[in-house]
Amino acid sequence: MGNHTISPRQFMYLVILFTVGSSILIIPTPTAAMAKQDAWLSVLLPVSAGTLIIWFLSTFGRQLENKTFVEAAIFAFGNWFGRLLSFFYLSFIFILGALVLRNIGDFMTTQIMPDTPLQFTHILFLLVVIFGARQGLEVIGRSSEIFIPWIFLLLFFLFFSISPQINLDNLQPILGGGIKPILSSSLTYLGTPLLEMVIFLMVFPYVKEKKKAGRAWILGALIGGLILTLVTLFSVLVMGSDLTALNAYPSYELAKKINLAGFLEGVEIIVAIIWMLTIFFKLVIIYFACSLGTANFLNMEDYRPLLLPTGMGMVVLSIVAYPDVAYFEAFLGETWFLYALTHGMLLPLIIWAGFMIKRAHTESS
Amino acid sequence: MRHPLAPHGYVKWTLVWVVMVLTLTGCWSSRELDELGVAVAIGVDKDEDDRYVLSVQIINPSEVASDAPTTRPPVTLYTTTGDTLFQAFRNMTTHSPRKVYVSQLRMVVLGPEIVNEGVTPALDLLYRNHEFRPTFFVTVARDASVSDILSTLTPYERIPAKKLMDSLIDTEENLGITKSVTIDNLIADVRSNGKEAVLPGILMEGDAATGTSTTNVEKVDAPTKLSIDGLSIFRGDQLVGWLKEEESQGYNYATGTVQSTIETFACDNPGTLSVEILRSNASMDAQLRSGKPTITIRVEVEGNVGEVDCVIDLSDDDKMKDINKKTEEVIEKKINAAINVTQEEYASDIFGFGNVIHRNHPAYWKQIKYDWKSHFSELEVKTDVKVKIRRKGKSTQPLQSEG
Repeated sequence: MGNHTISPRQFMYLVILFTVGSSILIIPTPTAAMAKQDAWLSVLLPVSAGTLIIWFLSTFGRQLENKTFVEAAIFAFGNWFGRLLSFFYLSFIFILGALVLRNIGDFMTTQIMPDTPLQFTHILFLLVVIFGARQGLEVIGRSSEIFIPWIFLLLFFLFFSISPQINLDNLQPILGGGIKPILSSSLTYLGTPLLEMVIFLMVFPYVKEKKKAGRAWILGALIGGLILTLVTLFSVLVMGSDLTALNAYPSYELAKKINLAGFLEGVEIIVAIIWMLTIFFKLVIIYFACSLGTANFLNMEDYRPLLLPTGMGMVVLSIVAYPDVAYFEAFLGETWFLYALTHGMLLPLIIWAGFMIKRAHTESS
Repeated sequence: MRHPLAPHGYVKWTLVWVVMVLTLTGCWSSRELDELGVAVAIGVDKDEDDRYVLSVQIINPSEVASDAPTTRPPVTLYTTTGDTLFQAFRNMTTHSPRKVYVSQLRMVVLGPEIVNEGVTPALDLLYRNHEFRPTFFVTVARDASVSDILSTLTPYERIPAKKLMDSLIDTEENLGITKSVTIDNLIADVRSNGKEAVLPGILMEGDAATGTSTTNVEKVDAPTKLSIDGLSIFRGDQLVGWLKEEESQGYNYATGTVQSTIETFACDNPGTLSVEILRSNASMDAQLRSGKPTITIRVEVEGNVGEVDCVIDLSDDDKMKDINKKTEEVIEKKINAAINVTQEEYASDIFGFGNVIHRNHPAYWKQIKYDWKSHFSELEVKTDVKVKIRRKGKSTQPLQSEG
């Protein structure tokens, strides 16, 4: 796998796609429900605070040099305890992968193909993801370079063509509900996607020029965060906070409302390419990290034989993960932040501390 | 070098083949155009048994697309009932040869029963179901049944729903006595504490039985016609009354939705003068004075002298200023009439004054939010209209002036 390297620029694209993927569907509804017309602030606020988290992760990544997160855990805590910590980390990635897969599946079955069973959407989507992960990181990085202009083009098209329907009154009163609802709803963004960034510690060893790559990580998270802020802002500006909170997929509803000069309408499915592409890349990264981590865990040379079995498990988990969408909404609101906090912040902190002690110990002896 | 676990060539190709056979056998949930009944308008009402009555106007593709039209009507109306709206939609399959497809829906007409009873239960399906785009207009049938309105054939424009939609938009843009309301705007207003909903009305002139036959459109002057009416006033999700044409205009001035219209007033000399309004702009502000809110509506209007039927010296700048002032008075009167009738007769805040207070004084709004309806009727509202007449058309003086 020695020839698997990507450039810092490709890495930044992957971070942007990872940030936007699935969050573009998830973020606006709960933030608008809690923070009302200030929903965009409750995305913008954690974007800036999140820089600190990314800064820590990228510093850790640079200190790891060419070790993946799982290798570092085993190096720092030994064969057994290190593997136990890695198990938590890998299960976090695996569960996240299943949830992201379910997100796009739920979206497709709610909005586009209600008669098609979830399993088929999941299997077909995952087949492409497995193919992508099989090609390796280099191909993933290069294809992100091909697709990122399309994402920006489609986002620009969405914002531009919906702008005649903007009503600035929908934003007022700014801070009308005080700062508290903004703070509590900003946890949503912290949970997904910011704390999920820990997954990139499996990818980071394969990025060239570590110093530049660290900056690319922070910049990518900022750009992705700004895109999500804009999506939330436009949802509230056009529909008002009440309808944004009422809609399961406000960004898609926004696209449905596009009507330029009475003839350009009904183009929502073109805009939906944004989340099909971003979720695809998010899943590929998760998938790559998961199978590579498992290969490290099992001391395997190559991660590729693990791709198909992991996929079978993921499809099953994505179906049984939650019984209905209401369960998921509650799960996202109550459980996910704490789960992501322990695995996205606490776990890397523990491993970082162990790694630094162990490294200092090895160097001195 | 081949990985020891990698499958052999023939195994791989067999797998690919199996997957393709399994997944590419057809299109799941595909619906071809010849299986769709494209609905352009639907009507919703309730009958005596409290069941939903659903009327769906479906395009007859062979009539609309063909170069050699027959005598069959361009649209078909199906009416069913059901305990819920969704039930009624599915009961439609017993009548219609094709499943109703609503993504191209242009207009929903609500019947007199359902608007008196409350529209929220009927709106849920229209917003929840994935096939509906939130871009269609919602209207109210005035003094006629929904199925009568939807079964009337219209001259000039073959599809009645399209005629209604185009007339609605034209009236809104050129006369300003009505306002097009999409479903999401309606839902937002019905759910809002600080604003009540309005909906445009649809009138039928003439005999319903004549309107439903193609003979109606074979005459130069169709005996049965559909036309757009002024605005209805809602309180919560129930219709409580109607605005007169001038009051509807006043409402549109106050909310800044007048694009173009005509204002007429009497000259000093006998006769009238009409002003063509080209654009208008409105803003609302709320002030708190000793704990009581006051709303100020500022309207800016620009226009031309449109039609002069009296003796007046149009080269005199003072006379032009006079026209400005008189137009201002006319507009102010319309706005105040709309405010008075909503405050005194209907106690319904269709202007969204509550939302203005919410925007400008969020803390005060929190105290009175749930008690807003009683506050609204005592609210003091000031109007300030500025009119700028810029030009007077091609003629410099009225035809009646001496040369």
